Amino acid sequence: MKRRQYVIGWISLAVAFFLFVVPFIYIFLIAAKSAPEASRLAFSLPTDWQLLQNLIDVVQARNYTLLLAYFNSTLITVGGVTLMVIFGAMVGYVLQRRNTPWNRIVFGMVMAGLIIPPAVVPTIWVLKEIGLFKTIHGMVLIQVAYGLGFSVLLYRSFIGTIPRDLDEAARIDGAKPWQIFYKVILPLLKPVTVTLIVVQSITIFNDFTNPLYYLPGKKNVTVQLTLYNFQGQFTSQMNLLFMNILLVTIPPLIVFIFFNRQIVAGMTSGAVKG
Amino acid sequence: MAKVELKNLHKAFGAVEVIKGVDLVVEDGEFCVFVGPSGCGKSTLLRIIAGLEDATSGGILIDDKDVTNLEPVDRGIAMVFQSYALYPHLSIRDNIGFGLSLTKLPKAEVAKQVEAAAETLQLTDYLDRKPKALSGGQRQRVAIGRAIVRDPAVFLFDEPLSNLDASLRGQMRIELTDLHAKLKTTMIYVTHDQVEAMTMADKIVVLNGGQIEQVGTPMELYNNPASPFVAGFIGSPKMNLFSGDIAKELGCTTYGIRPEHITLDSTGTWQGIVRHLERLGADTIVHLEVAHLGSALLVRAQGDIEYHVGQTLYATPQAEREHRF
Repeated sequence: MKRRQYVIGWISLAVAFFLFVVPFIYIFLIAAKSAPEASRLAFSLPTDWQLLQNLIDVVQARNYTLLLAYFNSTLITVGGVTLMVIFGAMVGYVLQRRNTPWNRIVFGMVMAGLIIPPAVVPTIWVLKEIGLFKTIHGMVLIQVAYGLGFSVLLYRSFIGTIPRDLDEAARIDGAKPWQIFYKVILPLLKPVTVTLIVVQSITIFNDFTNPLYYLPGKKNVTVQLTLYNFQGQFTSQMNLLFMNILLVTIPPLIVFIFFNRQIVAGMTSGAVKG
Repeated sequence: MAKVELKNLHKAFGAVEVIKGVDLVVEDGEFCVFVGPSGCGKSTLLRIIAGLEDATSGGILIDDKDVTNLEPVDRGIAMVFQSYALYPHLSIRDNIGFGLSLTKLPKAEVAKQVEAAAETLQLTDYLDRKPKALSGGQRQRVAIGRAIVRDPAVFLFDEPLSNLDASLRGQMRIELTDLHAKLKTTMIYVTHDQVEAMTMADKIVVLNGGQIEQVGTPMELYNNPASPFVAGFIGSPKMNLFSGDIAKELGCTTYGIRPEHITLDSTGTWQGIVRHLERLGADTIVHLEVAHLGSALLVRAQGDIEYHVGQTLYATPQAEREHRF
């Protein structure tokens, strides 16, 4: 039995390595090659290491578009995740604690937000009508709308594990409803909040299609869209494209490595009373 | 310091009526215990007094002021919960001072009052710890400390000792009684444990099915129970209660006699066979199978008495201690 577990463990590690690490190495190798060599797309060590030069070229391309993209993406990610955390926790709290006929309607809408796929063209029409099309804050609101259902669901179930006695004790201590939420409930939601921040910030940062639809314009570029810089109909600079991929992959990777432990803690907390 | 008055209080959850018209006066400085079986409405009644539940109809007066529609904080009450309900993310200091920190009191004053409360409850060494680093008894004291600093007119306790082990519970009973003697504040205490009620109360309110069965001092309830329910609820072991033909024969609908008011001898009124002996040390509880009564009779005898199972004995009730309902 021991031996079998050992073998299975190694096989799964090998598969995971092949699926996740090999592509990453491939990206790194091509990002270090010169343009002609990179265009062959071979899995081989570069004959001439050009990692630094490629990095400079990518950053400087099209008048430092990548830096602007980093700025925009960070803005959208931070704004979107902040709103999602605040509203998700608030809606989840009210849905869990207060028992009114409205709850079912609101919960139905939350579920609809999770189930029904977003329609692009009507959304653009709405955005245009209210003057939010091609704006960063419009994009933030889109991301919040797409992610709010998930965050409400996550918060609601977690708040269910916080005893109601705490709310009541705070009420007797003289706390107003908003004080109960901010001083008692919100600090206790930290594990879920960390999970949500990590999961959603990676999702939003890595989002390619939504900024493509809702945020056209040179000034509005986001990191995933900078990949188009080096890919044309007639010429493609594979070394720069892969360097770009490498650069936009690194921030989510760092976030994930640092918060990995908390994500698991947040996903499982509430399962066992602690 | 305050008198609490409940006037014709009703509470219904949907179609289910859980409090069916309660009238009660708790005098200033009194230690009043609500006691009753699970689901009798005692906790609900306490929560209505606290303001955590709204009464369907009726009124609550604290110190002659109508507080029926006031928020909990404006009623001058403090409550200790069964689960303690300490804020897990705050230190003991912040837990005790939470209510005060919400008021406009200066920080130094809050700190002073928290220290004073901690002193009273011997919590000074633990002020910077988190609740999870304390034992059950200490957490209970923190919960009481949180109530004390608010300097309330009325303390409300919702089964505060039920999560503690037996020896600690005994100790906390004494501490709470001492605290009451020291503060001289009105206290309302909910429990399902009649021992807690008997040992701590100035006044016991026995509740059953959302109504008050009887109100009185512990010894009044023990000596003169108003109904078979109160008779069976107060006292341990339970009073022997008989209804039906036996009771009719004895001239009532329910006949009751406490185990400690029966004498066992070789002659007497009821003949029975010893089925079981519970040795408690100081006392022995004898389970006597009496054919005439149709069920087992509990008798409290001396601890070192030398009976054995299967022995035939005669039980005689003490005449002036019989209860007829």
